Amino acid sequence: MTTEPVDDRPPAAGPSTNLIAAVVVIALGGAAVAGAAALGSGPGTWPMIVGVALVLLGLILALQARRAEPPERFTRSSLLVVAAVASMIAYVAVIATIGFEIPTALLAFVWLRFLGRESLRTSIAVSLGIVVVFYALFVGALDVTIPHLF
Amino acid sequence: MSSVIDGFAVVLEPANLLYCLVGVVIGMLIGVLPGLGPAATIAILLPLTFGLEPVTAVIMLAGIFYGAQYGGTVTSVLLRLPGEASSVVTVFDGHALARQGRAGAALGIAAIGSFVGGTLSIVALTLVAPIVAGFALDFGPPEYTVLALLGIMLVSTISSGGRIRALTAAAVGLLLATVGRDDFTSAERFTFGNLSLADGIDFVPIAMGLFGLGEILYNLEERHRAVQAPTRVTNVWPSRADLRQSSGAIGRGSVIGFVLGILPGGGAVLSSMAAYALEKRRSKHPERFGRGAIEGVAAPETANNAAATSSFIPLLSLGIPANATMAVIFGALLIQGVTPGPQLVTEHPELFWGVVNSMYLGNVLLLIMSIPLLGVFVRILRVRAAVLAPITVLITLVGAYTVNNSVFDIGLVIGFGVLGYLMKKAGFDPGPMVLAFVLGTLLETSLRRSLLLFDDDLTGFLTRPISGTLAVAFLAVILLPLARTLLHRRHPSEPSVPAGGGTESSVPAGGADSSAPVGGADSSVPAGGADSSVPAGGADSSAPVGGADSSVPAGGGADSSVPAAGHAYPFDSAGGEAESSVSAAVRQDGSDSAVGASSGGGFGGRASRQRAAIGDPEAVDPAGTPSGAASDRVTESPRRDNKAEEAE
Amino acid sequence: MKLTLPALGLAGLLVLAGCGGNLGSDGDSGSTAAYPERAVTLLIGQDAGGSTDLIGRALADPASKDLGQPITVQNRPGANGAVAAKELAAAAPDGYTVMVFVGSLAYITPLAVPADQAVDVNDYEVVTGISQDDFVLIAHPQTGFKTVQDIVAAKRPVKFATTGVGTGSQLTQTLLFAQAGVEATAVPFNGGAPALTAVLGGQVDVAAVQLGEAKEQIEAGKAVPLVTFATQRPSYMPDVPTATEAGFNVPVQQSRAIVAPKGTPAEVVDRLRTAFQKGFAEQAYKDFNTKRLLTANEVDGTALLQQWNGSLQTYRDLVAQHKIDLSAK
Repeated sequence: MTTEPVDDRPPAAGPSTNLIAAVVVIALGGAAVAGAAALGSGPGTWPMIVGVALVLLGLILALQARRAEPPERFTRSSLLVVAAVASMIAYVAVIATIGFEIPTALLAFVWLRFLGRESLRTSIAVSLGIVVVFYALFVGALDVTIPHLF
Repeated sequence: MSSVIDGFAVVLEPANLLYCLVGVVIGMLIGVLPGLGPAATIAILLPLTFGLEPVTAVIMLAGIFYGAQYGGTVTSVLLRLPGEASSVVTVFDGHALARQGRAGAALGIAAIGSFVGGTLSIVALTLVAPIVAGFALDFGPPEYTVLALLGIMLVSTISSGGRIRALTAAAVGLLLATVGRDDFTSAERFTFGNLSLADGIDFVPIAMGLFGLGEILYNLEERHRAVQAPTRVTNVWPSRADLRQSSGAIGRGSVIGFVLGILPGGGAVLSSMAAYALEKRRSKHPERFGRGAIEGVAAPETANNAAATSSFIPLLSLGIPANATMAVIFGALLIQGVTPGPQLVTEHPELFWGVVNSMYLGNVLLLIMSIPLLGVFVRILRVRAAVLAPITVLITLVGAYTVNNSVFDIGLVIGFGVLGYLMKKAGFDPGPMVLAFVLGTLLETSLRRSLLLFDDDLTGFLTRPISGTLAVAFLAVILLPLARTLLHRRHPSEPSVPAGGGTESSVPAGGADSSAPVGGADSSVPAGGADSSVPAGGADSSAPVGGADSSVPAGGGADSSVPAAGHAYPFDSAGGEAESSVSAAVRQDGSDSAVGASSGGGFGGRASRQRAAIGDPEAVDPAGTPSGAASDRVTESPRRDNKAEEAE
Repeated sequence: MKLTLPALGLAGLLVLAGCGGNLGSDGDSGSTAAYPERAVTLLIGQDAGGSTDLIGRALADPASKDLGQPITVQNRPGANGAVAAKELAAAAPDGYTVMVFVGSLAYITPLAVPADQAVDVNDYEVVTGISQDDFVLIAHPQTGFKTVQDIVAAKRPVKFATTGVGTGSQLTQTLLFAQAGVEATAVPFNGGAPALTAVLGGQVDVAAVQLGEAKEQIEAGKAVPLVTFATQRPSYMPDVPTATEAGFNVPVQQSRAIVAPKGTPAEVVDRLRTAFQKGFAEQAYKDFNTKRLLTANEVDGTALLQQWNGSLQTYRDLVAQHKIDLSAK
């Protein structure tokens, strides 16, 4: 795992959260088993094996849930993550229609200004800089067929 | 040998030198950009080679190949974005080192290791290419199956989280690998009717999403943490202690890389994993791995460069491309009118040796160029995280697009980014998932082909010499710790063996093999102190090195205390154990966290041993060495101790 | 100040949305009079470095000189070219997107995949045929096989490597062994190189691969050619009998053609054909064909479709006759 100093981590969630993770794993394994069964014996054999393994591992995780290291809780800062993901989804949604230049600039701006609390000038400057560099690199130098407006 | 010299003459022609340089530079730039791999780049640049001599063309393409490898390392270390599968392992310790202000050391060791690995590989290639080329042909589906299985096992060693969680992540990775069209029957698996998924999920969205985006999202939540690069970069170059520590890793990595790289398909990834796992297992303080152990960068980088070089062997000696990049180079040669094949050496010796020597040259150029570039790369980290994050995100998103020119892949990256974030919060390491994903296809297809070859008879694996040997080794390696467990149980006189440990007691057997020797607990600690990532020059590093970390490893938990199905994890060194024992210590008695927190990385291990000695039932005892089975290991360790102490 | 920027941005977005998808990577289907005005994309449904890819690139270079615009090769591997074909079908029929279509996708793959996954070449506009590639059955020297009769006489089950499901490699061998009455198990690999490796390494007994891929190994004595599957002996392998000569009805060849989306204007198709024919005439391309053991098949669209549709029907009949299921495990 990564080297985060202890003191700044978000508070630990209750041990039941481990259980939730375990249940998710079991559910995933179950879905895999179901899907594999539908595929039949040739293509479905291997997914079946893996699915069964997942269910078993999930069960073990559930048994260990109480004693294991609890996962971190979601705090208010987690909303930042939600915002970040939303911005990225928006990016994907529009990029095919209006090219990558504008969404790139906007995404960069949002991240710099709102998620990163940078000053307005820095945010604008860096956003525009990124678009320029990307354009020069991807469209100019590499000739990648990314949807672009200009 | 005159042809070798002739080859050098070819390479040192100014035109070829220039094109080698151009190739290396382009390659580095490409490698730094995730998504656009060397194969794709070479394909794009193929038309440029039409006007060149065959030798020159291949020299440039080979330069691109090497440059891209190194570029991928740069992003792995600085941004936690593995450019290709063989750079994934570098991420673990490389990025940790970067976080501690030692990106320069990491990148420098990577360059040096790559150079040494590549050079040794070239020398070996020159001497034994025709012999080992035939060896490559002996590797068929059964051998790949066993290799892939070993690889999956290695995955749990490499991960620094708990074993069960690592295996769970790996299992999910295996499942993800099945998405797409089945090669054997054209049946579509788990594609939900989506055309983009019909070809399966690409490596790039998974790796960049889980590692890059996941990390960024996770850090968003902890903005106030020391995620920023340290304002003072302590040393740009690897210190002499770093070099000494890494020398063994580099040597071993070269051999592993050379051998595994010859195998068509999958050599580089396996070699990086194997080299890393070997170092972790051999280390006295395996808990350092994943936290900035310099060998953790040296080993995989050396191995994958050695493998990259030896992957030319099947192409040049047999005319069979070993991976996608080789296939494109093969194509380039064909367009040039040269058909690589067994007769290439005799028909076009100047081409063969020209290419071989150009590899050497490429390695030298890389090393030279990394000198000025290192400073530049490291400075990238000085940029504020708040600014670096959107840049990284956008590189990731756009890079994902360039893989298949598909917007769907961007969506995939985001999805995996969210998954990576959730996994980190829940204490799962993304590493095993990505590595298992890479190996998953190899494992399944090899297994199914093997079954076809053997008419569904599993004992067929034992009838073939290579797969038989590997399979026996595999089984032995699984069963030996089990055997030790049983033997162990019959000798309950060991005071330090936890009584109610059940099957857990076998784990120290495995643990003791690689971690502190019996009487050496104390003597290894100061060495451990130096070994861990405190820069040798003693300069302050702003991030608390291993101290606080070792006391609360996120996923360490007590996972390792309840091994599921026997001890199929022979390579799982005491790394996991030390973590779990310390964290167990923390949980059981709050005051212990102070003990763990205040000591350095190596000291954490010591605290765990003390705890274990007291008979903590949860703690696994790395020091409880049964004198019998592990004695050979024990005698080895003091020697290593001495070496480490000399390094002081 | 704070409001101005988002407002500007929003206004800008609205303006652009109004303009519609006038994006650089899509085609602007203006008049065809000045065709081509910009680069043409050549899709290739196989991996870079493979036979099809090399053929496409070898052709793209001289043809682009004639067109006066670059022809950019883009690989879209997957499903023997079905992925690229789908992308082609979705592209604007203005001549700026074309594809190198492999014959096996048109007349073999439909026999191996469910109907909804099969691609019909008749849904496209064929610009020109390119070349044909023959398959050769090779064996590992240690097996002692020199002719197909040797295999039959050995009276043991054989293992053969194929280059994938729905490929000529699979069809030729399956048909051959069905007709010869040999019990054979197919071991599918992903492409020519791994299949070749499997034979060279002795893991399988035989494999059918394309001539160009096997030539070097045969000349080096590492592989023994048994039969080719052409209708007559290819000039490159005068000493190897054809399957027909050996008494088996397995006329299977790989073929390639340039296709454009349906609805591409006739003038554009003609212009493209002229450009590619100029490419065919170049000495460098001819040398490439010779080196790769390819036989030219530079016929026009109608003739090509006749060939391919005919092949599909032939194979359908053969497969039904011998009760073969190409998609089975």
